[in-house]
Amino acid sequence: MDRNQVHRQVALMRQSFFDQGFLDEQFIQLEELQDEANPNFVEEVVTLYYRDSTRLILNIEQALEKSPLDFNKLDCHMHQFKGSSSSIGAKKVKSECTQFREYCKAGNGEGCMRTFQQLKKEYAILKKKLETYFQMARQAGPKEIACRPKPKLDICPDLEKNYVGWIPSRFRYTFSF
Amino acid sequence: MCYWIIILEKSKTQMESGRGFGGSATRRIPNGKSLEQGDTAQGNNNGMSNGHGYVVLRNRLTALVVDDDRICRTCEKALLESYGVDTQAVENGRDAVDLFASGASFNLVLMAKVLPVMNGLEATRQIRAMGIRSKILAVTAAAYERERRAFLEAGADEFIEKPLTPQILVPILLELDNN
Repeated sequence: MDRNQVHRQVALMRQSFFDQGFLDEQFIQLEELQDEANPNFVEEVVTLYYRDSTRLILNIEQALEKSPLDFNKLDCHMHQFKGSSSSIGAKKVKSECTQFREYCKAGNGEGCMRTFQQLKKEYAILKKKLETYFQMARQAGPKEIACRPKPKLDICPDLEKNYVGWIPSRFRYTFSF
Repeated sequence: MCYWIIILEKSKTQMESGRGFGGSATRRIPNGKSLEQGDTAQGNNNGMSNGHGYVVLRNRLTALVVDDDRICRTCEKALLESYGVDTQAVENGRDAVDLFASGASFNLVLMAKVLPVMNGLEATRQIRAMGIRSKILAVTAAAYERERRAFLEAGADEFIEKPLTPQILVPILLELDNN
């Protein structure tokens, strides 16, 4: 399969994540943060997420085995899990977290357990999809997707307000005092 | 006195529009749209959503991220640094308070709620009690009204549900830069 075809496949896979609701625009924000200095930022953050959240999932599992259930503790664990899931744009996982917290507030243990099973499923599905995606993206090689040039430092003391616009490249230069 | 201008190029097409930033003059941007005098940061969705865009800060701002979750710390720090903001990160409220007590100063603080040792609410209270006037944003996974009120009463300036996005952050950075 030639490189263009692989690139196209990668792009289609990526688009399907958004179309099918697995990821939201936060994932795009992460892609925006990739540049020459951090060319694998997204993959690194996602890897970190799956590594760190293993412990959280275990904590929740253990807490769900206790009797009676400590809903405050469950809510607290899920609060953190929701935070990191939303930071990588894991849309379905995040929505299960929200549902779980609703059940905690209502003191509904049965609901919590059911939702948690669904959450683990979504979590695992997304993990598999992203692993495949990153593997294919690496095979495809570097592309222009989400690679910003490094910030440039320019001097413009005459600006009275923040300037927002386009500067032709011949005027962009870097120096310092 | 010298000014540092940090010009950052955003070159990715947005999935949603809503990345409008203010402009001080009329300029053409590569996709043919132009910014008009007086476009506001919040109001204009046409400006930067489909083409190259720049956010220019005149000053080097500093920020402190307070969050015990490594993913959130990493993402928020990276986002701030992408705008040229010097960013430090700590894992609990006590470390944040100690940093300020030791004389460090920051333009902006991103404060999570659930933190070990000292939580975000208490840390916010203590920082304000020291007379620190930095802008404090409560950035939390919980979005309930009572949490919002509690944080605002503790002295936070704004309350934001995670994740922190450029749409929310950039107007705040521009405001800090202009003061």
